[in-house]
Amino acid sequence: MNWNKTVRKAFIIFLLIIQVIFLFEIFKENLHSWWTVAAIFILCPLILLTYLTDGLHHEEHEYEHILVALWIPIGALASFYLNRFLSLGPVISGGIVGSIASFIPVLNKRSHYMKQLPAAIYCGAFIGMSSIGVAPNIVFILTASFFTAIMLILSKNLFAGVGGKLGTLAFAGVVITSFLYFLISSYV
Amino acid sequence: MYNQPILIMVSFFSAMITFFVNERLKQGPVRSSAALSLLVGLYFHYFAGSMDTYLVKNIPIVFFGGSFIGMVSSRLLSNYLLIGAAGIIFCLIFLHTSKFFNGYGGALGIAASISVLAVLSIPIVGKHRRVTNGIMQLREILFKISNRK
Repeated sequence: MNWNKTVRKAFIIFLLIIQVIFLFEIFKENLHSWWTVAAIFILCPLILLTYLTDGLHHEEHEYEHILVALWIPIGALASFYLNRFLSLGPVISGGIVGSIASFIPVLNKRSHYMKQLPAAIYCGAFIGMSSIGVAPNIVFILTASFFTAIMLILSKNLFAGVGGKLGTLAFAGVVITSFLYFLISSYV
Repeated sequence: MYNQPILIMVSFFSAMITFFVNERLKQGPVRSSAALSLLVGLYFHYFAGSMDTYLVKNIPIVFFGGSFIGMVSSRLLSNYLLIGAAGIIFCLIFLHTSKFFNGYGGALGIAASISVLAVLSIPIVGKHRRVTNGIMQLREILFKISNRK
């Protein structure tokens, strides 16, 4: 069996499941409003159609370098610090981290490695924007960054250029971590 | 009463402005999204004045989420109106986001990606001004999938 193809398919199905869970929660809470239910019934086939079309992913499967993914926890911790300890709020802290990260390639314009850093740091910044009820401490942020880093490594050529890809990966990382925390707290 | 239409307008323009800065001014997706959101966030943090507290709290968040849509690559989506439409879908998802996922980092991102994926399936006017028929495309895709099997 082709290992790359399996990883690719598993990852696409995983992201689809995460998105379906997100929409399903909206559906469950808004059952009283026919308008929302109808909108979700229109959205779902449209999303499925996009998933089935070609062109969303590059043909060749590649893995992101681990040194790029290492910047996710740095972005996460920076935005977590600004958000929580300096009380700047999620938008300003995410904006500061992203803006500074976007100037990193200017340091060395020839470096291919530096060009990839802004996206990884910005992806990490989303994790740090979680509220205190979801992410109580730094250990949570680091665990979520670890899962997001794995997903970023696996998904280099998938959903390339789709707005919101980084946020989706961060969301998946946070969801996995809070699920783990939930399991640990209910069994320990 | 006017709060929700205002947020929808914010999201509509945020997606288009970010795309403009990203593609036309060649600032790259991360800088265009982060810098614009930072400006809007700072403005509402320090100069909100006597505005409605609901709007002061939510406009920066909606703008931030809408700017993720503008990070889309022009290879996939280059029509400003479609990007604006994705912004409107994003805002509607945001206004109904379940309380279960309240405060999750990346929730804005997933709402943005859902709206971009939904809009990508509306092939009204393609990049080369080619009017394509959605139903024909759907038939073609289904035909391709059945052939694969």
